[in-house]
Amino acid sequence: MSTPDERSAAVISAGDRIDPEWVLHLPSSTLKHIIDHCIGRPGPRAIPVPREEEGVGIASGLVLAGRRVLMVIQDNGIGNALTALTTFPAAYHLPLLLLTSRRGGLGEYNSMIHTFCERVVAVSDAAGLRSFNLDGTVAIDEWGRRIVDAYEFARVTRRPVIVDLNLMRE
Amino acid sequence: MNRWDALSAIVAAFPTEPYVVTLGGTTREIALQRRGQNHLYVLDSMGLPPAIGLGLALGLAGVLPDRIVVLEGDGSLLMGFSSLATIGLTSPANLLLIVLDNGTYAATGNQPTAASAVDFVVVAAGCGIEGRDVATIDDLCGALAWARGVAGPILLRVRIDTTARQAPFLLEDPVLPGADFARYLEARHVATHPA
Repeated sequence: MSTPDERSAAVISAGDRIDPEWVLHLPSSTLKHIIDHCIGRPGPRAIPVPREEEGVGIASGLVLAGRRVLMVIQDNGIGNALTALTTFPAAYHLPLLLLTSRRGGLGEYNSMIHTFCERVVAVSDAAGLRSFNLDGTVAIDEWGRRIVDAYEFARVTRRPVIVDLNLMRE
Repeated sequence: MNRWDALSAIVAAFPTEPYVVTLGGTTREIALQRRGQNHLYVLDSMGLPPAIGLGLALGLAGVLPDRIVVLEGDGSLLMGFSSLATIGLTSPANLLLIVLDNGTYAATGNQPTAASAVDFVVVAAGCGIEGRDVATIDDLCGALAWARGVAGPILLRVRIDTTARQAPFLLEDPVLPGADFARYLEARHVATHPA
């Protein structure tokens, strides 16, 4: 079983391989190392956005401009982003990869967040949004490849894709 | 000033630039006046046009010389109001945000918005965005000429009445106007950077 730090390192390495020109992020304690890396890395320009749906709009505009983009948010923010995701990048066939940190479930300390976050995959499926799940049951040396593959999957299918990352203790 | 005349003046001032056009009557009227591949019609995503325009402005800076023109309504701007902060933070010089303000959600039956309580130009200034507030065609034309000559980001609040032209809905698959817009950007890029 991998540790949260090992998983964060795998996500950072995969992000570097995707080599985004822009990263849009919202705050998350479990994504702290990853967001800090994006902010500190000389390559991509990192933009803090105050709302998930705004991030979807900015990211979509960047994709239309031909840029490589990542969004990094908590998965409870998928609730805010659903209408934006389904009515714009999904409807207009724009590839967009969202890396979301899993909240809810074992290891979660916040009582009110379970209700939505334990159902993010089901909600995404119901909305027609493709998602992949990475957690402690996935070998750590598979994480990076699957994240890069998900980025390519978004490009090939021309749709938004969510990778839900469990970076919590399990 | 009505929306039809305001749109005519805007398109005359910026005829070939990339547009992000908000949903409802604005999309229908501008498409009826002069449908163009340079128009990205946002057919449903209320609150998103400024964010989409910001992404385009950031992504196309240094690639295309054009202004990115966002046509937004007051209700939709209020729905995505946080975008003003991010526009101010990133400060794209090539972004022109035009708010057609009729004080209502016209497409759903003219329910009032909160726009009457908000000074959009002052809010924009607080975010680092310069702006103008205009209520006549002459003032709009003057503001458009001013906006063309200064570095952005710029916000123009354009006061319009609630009259609307009968214009057909755009009911096609949004992939089609989206693909038109992508082809337009590619053509502009080729024209701007010939081999």
